[in-house]
Parts: sequence; C-alpha cells; structure tokens
Amino acid sequence: MTTEVGGGSRVASHLGRFGGLVPAALYFGLFFFVPFGLVICFSFWQDVNYTVVHHWTLENYHYFLGQPAYRSTMWATLWMSVAATGITLLIAFPFSYWLSRYVPSGLQKPLLVLVIVPFWTSYLLRMYSWLNILGTKGLINTFLEKLGIIDQPLTLLYSRWSVVVVLVYLYFPFAALTLYSSIDRFDWDQLLAAMDLGASPLKAIRKILVPQIRPGIITAIIFVFIPVLGEYLAPQIIGGTSTPMLGNVIDNFQKEALYARASSIALLIAAFVIIVLILFRKSLTAKEAYGA
Amino acid sequence: MAREAGVLSPRARAIRGLLTGYALFIYLFLFAPIVLLVLFSFNDNQYSSFPITGWTTAWYRQVFGDYEIQDALRTTLKVALVVTVVSVVLGTAAAFPLVRSRLRFPAGLRVTMTLPIMIPGILIGISLLILFTQTLHFNLSWKTAVIGQSLYTTPFVLLLVAARLEGFDRNLERAASDLGANTFNRLRLVVLPLIFPAILAGALFAFTLSFDEFVITYFIIGASNTLPIYIYTQIRFGITPEVNALASLVLVASIALVSLAFLLPAGYRLSRRAIRSRGTRRQPKVVPEAVGATEL
Repeated sequence: MTTEVGGGSRVASHLGRFGGLVPAALYFGLFFFVPFGLVICFSFWQDVNYTVVHHWTLENYHYFLGQPAYRSTMWATLWMSVAATGITLLIAFPFSYWLSRYVPSGLQKPLLVLVIVPFWTSYLLRMYSWLNILGTKGLINTFLEKLGIIDQPLTLLYSRWSVVVVLVYLYFPFAALTLYSSIDRFDWDQLLAAMDLGASPLKAIRKILVPQIRPGIITAIIFVFIPVLGEYLAPQIIGGTSTPMLGNVIDNFQKEALYARASSIALLIAAFVIIVLILFRKSLTAKEAYGA
Repeated sequence: MAREAGVLSPRARAIRGLLTGYALFIYLFLFAPIVLLVLFSFNDNQYSSFPITGWTTAWYRQVFGDYEIQDALRTTLKVALVVTVVSVVLGTAAAFPLVRSRLRFPAGLRVTMTLPIMIPGILIGISLLILFTQTLHFNLSWKTAVIGQSLYTTPFVLLLVAARLEGFDRNLERAASDLGANTFNRLRLVVLPLIFPAILAGALFAFTLSFDEFVITYFIIGASNTLPIYIYTQIRFGITPEVNALASLVLVASIALVSLAFLLPAGYRLSRRAIRSRGTRRQPKVVPEAVGATEL
C-alpha cells in the first residue's frame, strides 16, 4: 500500500500529473476562449432587427471606420491611453527611485503597501470620489475660491484631461510597484563606475541604468496601457458625454442590443492589446509580471 | 538602504529633501479621494460638498436602514463566497501540474492561464454577455456574474499557490511516503499545511476582488445588484452623502479584508514556526529572524 508514488498505471499517473489542470482548462475554455471566438464571429456578422444574422461581412468595420465621430473616438482612446501611461510612468519613476534609494530599508515595505492599499479598495469608489475633488463644489474649486483666485467655479470635470488625471490616479500603484522592484535590484555603484570611466551622467543612465530596469518599465507600460485601452467607467463618470472612449462605444452598442457592432469594437481593442503585447513580447512572462 | 546616511553632500541632501516632498505629494494624491469620501460621509450637509456644516452619523443610519442596500449586500456576499470557492478550487488544482509536471509549454500555459487578468475587463464582460444571452440563452443573474468574476479571480489564486509550490521542498513528500503515507495522507498532512498560507491569501484576495468587482459584473448581472452596481446606479443621479457613507463602509471592509490577506498567512507561518522551533531544540534567537523573514 505504500508504493503508490511510483506505481499505478500510466493513465492514472498521467491523470495524477495533469488532472489538476482539467477543471481550470474546461472553465477557461468554455467561459473565456469560446466567448472570445464568438466575439470574433459576431464582429463579422450583422445586426438585423436586433438579432444577429450569420451573414459574413465587413460591414461593422466599414461602418465604424466610416463615421468621423467613431474614428475620432478611436484616436482619442489611443491618445488618452498613451498620455495616461506616459504620465503615470513619469510620476512613478521619481517616487520609486525615492523609495528604493532614500528610504531606510525597514520602512520600504510598509510605504509600498501604503501605495497598494488604494489599489485594493474599490475602483468604482475611488473614481467616484474624484467628483468630490474636481466638481464645481469640490475640493479644488472651494480652495481656489477661499484664496480669492477665482470667483466662478472652474469646470474641471467633463474634459479629456480630467479623465487622464483620474486614469493616472487609478493605475499609479501598478507602475510604482513594478518600477520599484526593478529599481531596487539595480546596483547604483555601476552607474558611478561608468561615470568614473568617463561616461557622462546621461550616457551612463542610458547605457547602464535603462537596459537593466527595462523589464520593469515595460511591465509597467503593459499594466497601465492595456487596462486603460478598455476603460469605460472613467470617461463616463469623469468625462461625462464629452470624451467617450472605445469602451463606451461597446457599452452603447450593447445597450441597443447591437451585439455584432459591439463585437467589432471589442475586437478592435483586442487588436490593440495584441499589438502592444507583441511589441513588448520579450518581457511577457507572467513570472516577471507577478513574481515580484 | 540609506547609503552613507551620515555623509551626504549638501547637494545630495537637497535632492533627498526634494524627493521626499514629492513622495509626500504622491501620497496625498493617492489618499485625498479616499479621505474626502469618508469626510463627506460624516458631513451634516445634504450635498456632498464643502463646507463641512457639522458632524452627523445620520447617513450611516440611513444606509443601515435601506432595504435596497441590504439586498445588494446579501447578493454581494453570496457572489463573493461562491467566487472564492470556485477560484480556490480551480486555481489550487491547476497550480500543481503547472509547477510540478514537465509540461511541454510551461511559459505559454502560464500566460494562457493569466490571460483573463492581462486583457481589459470589458472584453470579458462583453464576450460573456454574448455567450450567455445570444448563444446559451441564459437569464442573466448573480450566477452569471459568478462565472465572469471567477474568470478574473482564479489566476490570482493560481499565481499565489504556484509561487508557494515553487519554494516547496519535495523531499518532504518523499520522506512522508518513505514513512508509509499514502497519496491522500501526504496531501493532507504534508502538502496542504505547507501551502495553506497561499491558499488562504488567494481566498481572501478572490473575496476582496469579487466584493469590489464592477467592470465585468456590470455587463452580466442582469437585474440583480451587487453593492458596486448599486452605487453606480445611485451616482448617476449625483453624489449623495448616503452613497458616501456606503462607500466608506465598503472601503473599510475592503481594507480590513486585504489586511487580513496580508496578515493571516504571515501569522499562520509564524505560529507554525513557533511550534516547530519549540519542538526542535533550537536557540531562541532564531525567532526574531523568523519574524523578519515573513514576506508575501
């Protein structure tokens, strides 16, 4: 009875070895890959009288790309994703540098956890609370009125930039976390050594620092850019109707039961995601992304 | 890692001061929305705005008396509980072969299994909506929301348990079977106790994520309400102090849950270490080291 480790038939041992994957594989297959296949099919089918007919066509894409309003939504989405990602990384870098270089090592972990705490609290609520800050009776307007700088409240909400600010706020923890873990592994003496050997500070940073922390930078880009591409809540709550993103177009089509149209936009977002992943595929290992 | 803390040049000290100020500003940026939310929830003002006209707990009393909120809370807990069970079972079971079996494409399989958290949630939402309503003709309910949320929480459990299994000394299992343990006993007495902290952390993360999940749920919950969905329907008519109070309560609950997720596994490991070091004749000075070594 004690030889079960090595014994057993081959089938049983195979089942023992890979069996654990079966439930998850079935689950992911049925509820992730099959629906995704459906979206691909639907995007090439047609909405007729609120039902989808299996008639293969490029009409959904023609329609979307033919409307100037939708085309500008697509560009706005890309523009906002790039802006939000760039700003998030730019403000996260000095912060991560500070945390890794100037904070006593005993304090680093708690301070890092403090950054992640907001991330673990509701995404909806954190976004919603920005109405308290940017609204006409919000924190900023009240403050500026008290100081006598303005006498009419500024309209801070319902603009593209306000959406970008909130997106930066929402995704900052991702960037700070990944940048910190790669900066913290960097040996700063190497930078001094390079400069001792005659490299200018800029050249030393470009040749020594950047290549070593590149995986962290790329992971941060992926983890901010990709979710921002699919945002629909921030543009709706913070941007009102003025700055829709592709996610809002999906939501609108979905509300009108135009599933083929919605699918084509979903596939468009997926295409952008895949392009980003291929561009940065070298650092695309789950381990690097989550292992830290 | 404050290098040469005592001998900073004036310039380095200026940089440090500047960066520290900057970091404080970042923390302000991160916490201002959360602090304001809580502040306004106690504000005796019908509108969620300045000035603070007085302090009241009336909004909280209103939240506790609201039947719709109670209903949404019940649904949220029900969904979160089922999601936790589903994702713990699926994620833990899948972690074993992923770490231990010689698979043909280990990296590819890992990426595949984490794909649901790599892509924007809206894609999961819309594709499941199409599967449920257009193909399977399910009625949307809290059950369909469970299916969607589990897709998103399972990878987290999987990654946590897999990380734990990777640092697992398989000789312990070999020793157990040498000593006559069968597969079941090996699992029950050796493997599960060792990976339990990761499973616990995974379960708490899954619960928290489900508790707050909006992006996917919005598409596939139909007419039911979880708390985030309820809050969303309320915000559309403007912010009210009552929603601020509800939001503060949800925030406190999530923070408590996450703290548990971080603290419980560490505490569990500590207590087991304490038991072990009491059993073997170790020097007591080992214990402080163990405290420093608890990481997640």
